[in-house]
Amino acid sequence: MNRKHSRRLFLTLLFMLNLVMGINQDVQASDNPTFPDLSPEKVADYMHSIIEADRKIYTTYVVKRMQEQGIVLAKEDWENKNAIPLPAQFLHLSSKLVAESGIGIRFRLISLWPIQRRNGPATEFERKSLEGLQSSPDIPQRGIVSTGKKKFFQAIYADTAINTACASCHNAHPLSPKRDFQVGDIMGGVVITIPLEK
Amino acid sequence: MDTPPTSETPVKRKKGLTKKLVISMLLVGALPLLIGLFLAFYQGTQKIQEVNGASFKALANETARKLDLVVADELSRTATLTTNIHIIAVLETRRDALSELDAAELTALLQQEQALWEEQNPKFSEPLTSGPIVDILRKQVGGTYIDPGQPVPVVTRSATRALYITDMAGRIVASLDTNPSYLHAQEPWWQGAFHKGVGQPFLTPVAFDPQLQTYTFTLALPIMDSLRYEAIGILRRVYDAKEFFAPSIDIIRFGETGHVMLIDSRGVVLSCPILPTGTSLSDNRLIPLVTPMQAGWTPAPSDGHGGQDTSIIGFSPLTYASRITQASTSLGWHMFVWQSSEELFGPIQQFFRWTAGFGLLGVVLLVTLGYLAAHRIASPIRQLQEAARRIGRGEFQKSIAISTGDEIEELAEEINRMNQQLASQFAGLESQVELKTQEVKYLQESTSQILDSVPDPVFMITNHNTIEYLNQASKDALELSDNGSIVGSPLFQILKVDPKTQAKMEQEIQTIQTSSPQLDLPSLSAPSFTGLRDPLAQAGGDQSVDTRPELRIHYRTYRYRWFAVEAAPGKDAFVGLVLRDTTEESSLQDRLIQGEKLASLGVLSSGIGHELNNPLVGVIGLGEAIQDEDNMDNMKGYAKDIVQHGKRMASIIRDFTGQMTNQSPEAKAPIDMNTQLTRAMNVVQAQFPNPAITIHTNFGSLPLLRANPYELEQAFTNVLTNAYQAIQGEGTIDITTACHEGNIHIRIADTGSGIAPAHLPKVFDPFFTTKSQGEGSGLGLTVSYRILKKLGGQIRLEDNSNQGTVCHITIPVSAEDSTP
Repeated sequence: MNRKHSRRLFLTLLFMLNLVMGINQDVQASDNPTFPDLSPEKVADYMHSIIEADRKIYTTYVVKRMQEQGIVLAKEDWENKNAIPLPAQFLHLSSKLVAESGIGIRFRLISLWPIQRRNGPATEFERKSLEGLQSSPDIPQRGIVSTGKKKFFQAIYADTAINTACASCHNAHPLSPKRDFQVGDIMGGVVITIPLEK
Repeated sequence: MDTPPTSETPVKRKKGLTKKLVISMLLVGALPLLIGLFLAFYQGTQKIQEVNGASFKALANETARKLDLVVADELSRTATLTTNIHIIAVLETRRDALSELDAAELTALLQQEQALWEEQNPKFSEPLTSGPIVDILRKQVGGTYIDPGQPVPVVTRSATRALYITDMAGRIVASLDTNPSYLHAQEPWWQGAFHKGVGQPFLTPVAFDPQLQTYTFTLALPIMDSLRYEAIGILRRVYDAKEFFAPSIDIIRFGETGHVMLIDSRGVVLSCPILPTGTSLSDNRLIPLVTPMQAGWTPAPSDGHGGQDTSIIGFSPLTYASRITQASTSLGWHMFVWQSSEELFGPIQQFFRWTAGFGLLGVVLLVTLGYLAAHRIASPIRQLQEAARRIGRGEFQKSIAISTGDEIEELAEEINRMNQQLASQFAGLESQVELKTQEVKYLQESTSQILDSVPDPVFMITNHNTIEYLNQASKDALELSDNGSIVGSPLFQILKVDPKTQAKMEQEIQTIQTSSPQLDLPSLSAPSFTGLRDPLAQAGGDQSVDTRPELRIHYRTYRYRWFAVEAAPGKDAFVGLVLRDTTEESSLQDRLIQGEKLASLGVLSSGIGHELNNPLVGVIGLGEAIQDEDNMDNMKGYAKDIVQHGKRMASIIRDFTGQMTNQSPEAKAPIDMNTQLTRAMNVVQAQFPNPAITIHTNFGSLPLLRANPYELEQAFTNVLTNAYQAIQGEGTIDITTACHEGNIHIRIADTGSGIAPAHLPKVFDPFFTTKSQGEGSGLGLTVSYRILKKLGGQIRLEDNSNQGTVCHITIPVSAEDSTP
C-alpha cells in the first residue's frame, strides 16, 4: 500500500470520527432548547467511549492487520516515510482536528512519562489525576479547573498498554523517560476538557 | 603470359612474417593489456564514485542529524519560554481582559495602542520593553546566564535578531526593543503558530529582511494557557539564517573544495561556505535529485555551484526540522554535500594518466621485443625460403647452416636431406631427359624424312587454316623454296585453287574439325566414278565437279584426302591434307575408253557386215538368177526369196540399232504375254529351224498388260534366240508363265551349254558376246534388258549348273494394265 492510500484511509477514519462528533453536536444543538442539559461527566464518558473505540479499531483492524500482512508499517515519522501514524499519533491528530473545529470540547493524551514534553501533565490536577489512575484505573478522575477567569470540567481516563507494541515502542524510544512498561500497565490518561461557560 | 620468378616479389614479402609476428604479439599482449587497463580504469572510476558517493551520503546524513539536533535544541529551549508561568499568567490576564471587549471596542483599542507604539511613547512602550518578562526574554538572546537549578552556565547563541511575545490579539506583550511593529495578528507566522487557537510550532522560509538587511527565518511558538487548552499568545524569534546555521555547516570542509550546505526544497541556499545565503542552486535539474526525504547520493550533471561538470552529490533531509517546516509552509530542509569535479575526479584522472602511460610503455616494449623476437624467427625462415627457391630453380647449393635448436633447425636439416636426394635423382633424370630428347629429335627428323620421301604432297593445317607443316613433295608441286615463310601462312594463300573448290575445301576442313577424328573420309584409292564409261552413252556425260575430291594446280589434276591428326596434350589438333597427282591416270583412262569405243565400233561394223553379207549374197545370186530366168513363176519365186532376204537384213539392222522401225513403234496396247511369247517362238523357230529342239510351254492365266507388243516380242525373241543358239544338237526349251502378287513371272529354261559364272555379270553389257564373229552382235540381251526396264520389270540369267541357262523375267502389273 502506498503512502497516498494510507493517508486516504487515515482521513476516512478521521472523517468517521468527526461524523460521530458531529452527530453529538447536532443532538446538543437541536435538542438543547427542549431538553435539560447533559451533565459534563456524561458528555465526557460518551466522548471517551468513542475515542477509545476509534483508537481500538485503528490499532486492531488497521495498524495490526496492515503490519501483519506487510502492507505498510506504522511509524513515528510517518509523514516522511511510506507509513501510517502510530495509534498514539492517531489520537493526537484526531484531538488536533477536534480542537481546530472550534466547538470547545478538547481531549489530549497525557502521561507522567511522555516522549514529548508537551504531552506531560499541564497542571497539578492532571498530575495528581494520573497518579490516582495508577492505583484505581477504572475510576475516571474528574474535576473543575480554571485558567484565568475561564472554568472547565475535566475528566481523565486511564490509558492502558493494550498490546506489546505499545509497551515495547515506549520502552525502546530514546526520548522515553520510562522503559519498563508491561502489557496492561497504565501508561497515561485521556484528558477530556469541556468549557463550562460561553 | 607466364612471368618468370623475379627477385622482386620475394623482396616485397620479405618483412611479411616479421610484421605478422609483431602484430600477433601486439594483439596477444597489448590488446588484453589495454582492455585490462581500461576495465581497471572503468572499475576504479565506478568504485571511486561509489566510495565517494557513500561517504558523501554518510556526511550529509551525519550533518543533517546534527543540525536537526541543533534545531530541536533551539526549539526546545525557546519552548521553555512558552511554558513560563509568569508569561502564561500575563497572557491569561490579557485574554480575560480581551474577552470582555466587543469587536468595536477591541478595534479601537488596538488602533490606539498601535499609534502609541509607533510614536514610541515611553509610557506605553517602556512596560513592554522592560520588566521581568523582558528580562526572561533577554536571558535567551545572548550572553551567559545560570539557569535556576542548572549548575552549568548556558551560553546562548547570538543569531537571534528579534524576540518578542504577542497576546492572542497579536499585540506586543514583551519585546527586547521597539523595532518590531505592534500588531501581528495578520502575519503568516502569527496565524500559522496560533492555528485557530490550537497552536503549533511554525518555521518560516528563509527570506531577506529589509529592516535587518540580512536573510532571516522566524520561529513562532504558541503560548498555551495553564491548562494547555488554547493558545493565548505567540512567541516570535527571528534568526539570522547564516549565523544560525554556519557554525554547524561551514566548519565541515574536506579536501580543497569539499563542503556541506543547507538548502530548502526550493533549492534556496540557507547556508553554504561558498554560496551566499538566499541564492538558488545554479542548476534546477539538481533540485529533485537532492531533495528526496531519505539520505542518498547521486551522480549529477552539474555541481549546483556554477560548474557544469559531472559531479557526485550526497544529500539528506533534516527530518525533524522538515516536519515543522513542512507543516508550516510545505518546504523541507536538506543537507547537500559536494566536492568539485576536478578534485573529486583528480585521482581518477591521475590514475588514467598513469594507466595510459603504462599502456603506452607496454605497447612500445611489446613492439620492440616483438620485433626482435620476430626477426629471430623470420631470419632463418627467410634463409630456408631462399634455399627452397634455389632448389626450385634447380640450383643445388651447399647445405643450409641453421642452428636455432628448434623445429626450424630440423626443417633445415630436412631440406638439406631433400636437396641431396633431389640432386642425386636429378643427375639420373638429366641423362634420361637428354636421351629422350634425342629420341624425339630423331623421330621428328625421321618423320620429316619419311614424309619428304612420299611423292604425294602432304600438309598439316592448324585450326586457323594456316600451314603447320608441308613435305618436300608439296614444295615441289607448288614450286616453293622458302620453308620459313610458308609455315604459318594461310593454306589457300599457298594452295591456289579456284574459289569454288576453296569454298568446298574450307567446308570440309570445318567438318573435320568439328567432328570426330574417325570421320569416314573419301579414300584416294576409291575412284570417284566407278565402272567403265559407256561408249554408247552420250559423250561428255557431265558429272558434277563439286562432288569430286579433285583440284587443279598448275594444269595438273590432284585428287585429295583429309585426315585428322590427334592433338598433342594441351595443344590444338591438326588436319592433314594429302594430294595425289592424278593427271596421268585420268588421261590414261580417257584413252582407254576411247580405245574401247573404237574396238566396239570394229565389232559392230564386222558383225553388221557379216550378218548382212549372207542375205546380200543370196539377193545378189537371186538377182542374177532373175536376170537369166524367163519363167515368170520362177522369177516370182526368186523375187519372193529376195524379199525374204531383204526382210532378214532389215531384221539384222533392227537388232543392231535396237529400235523397232516399223509399225507404230510407240503404240501401246493391252497385250497378252503368252501371245507375245508364242509369236517370238514362231519367229525363232522360223529363223532357226531345228527339229532336234523341242519347246515345252506351260502358260498360266495372265492379265493383259499395256505395252508395245513389238518391243516385247523383240525382247522375248532375243532371249529365245540365245536359248536356241546355246543348244548344240538336241535339247528342250521350257517356257513357264504365271502371275502372282501383282507380278507376271516368266521362266525360260534351256538345256544348252550354260554361262560361265565369270560371264554372268557382263551378259547385259552391250557388245558382250561369247559367240563367234558374225553369230551375235552382243546387243540382244542389252536390248531386252532396256525394254523390260522401261516396263519396270527385271531380267536375270542364272547358270543351271551344266544343264543349261534359266532366264527369269518379272513384269509388274499395274491397275492401269488390268483394265482392258
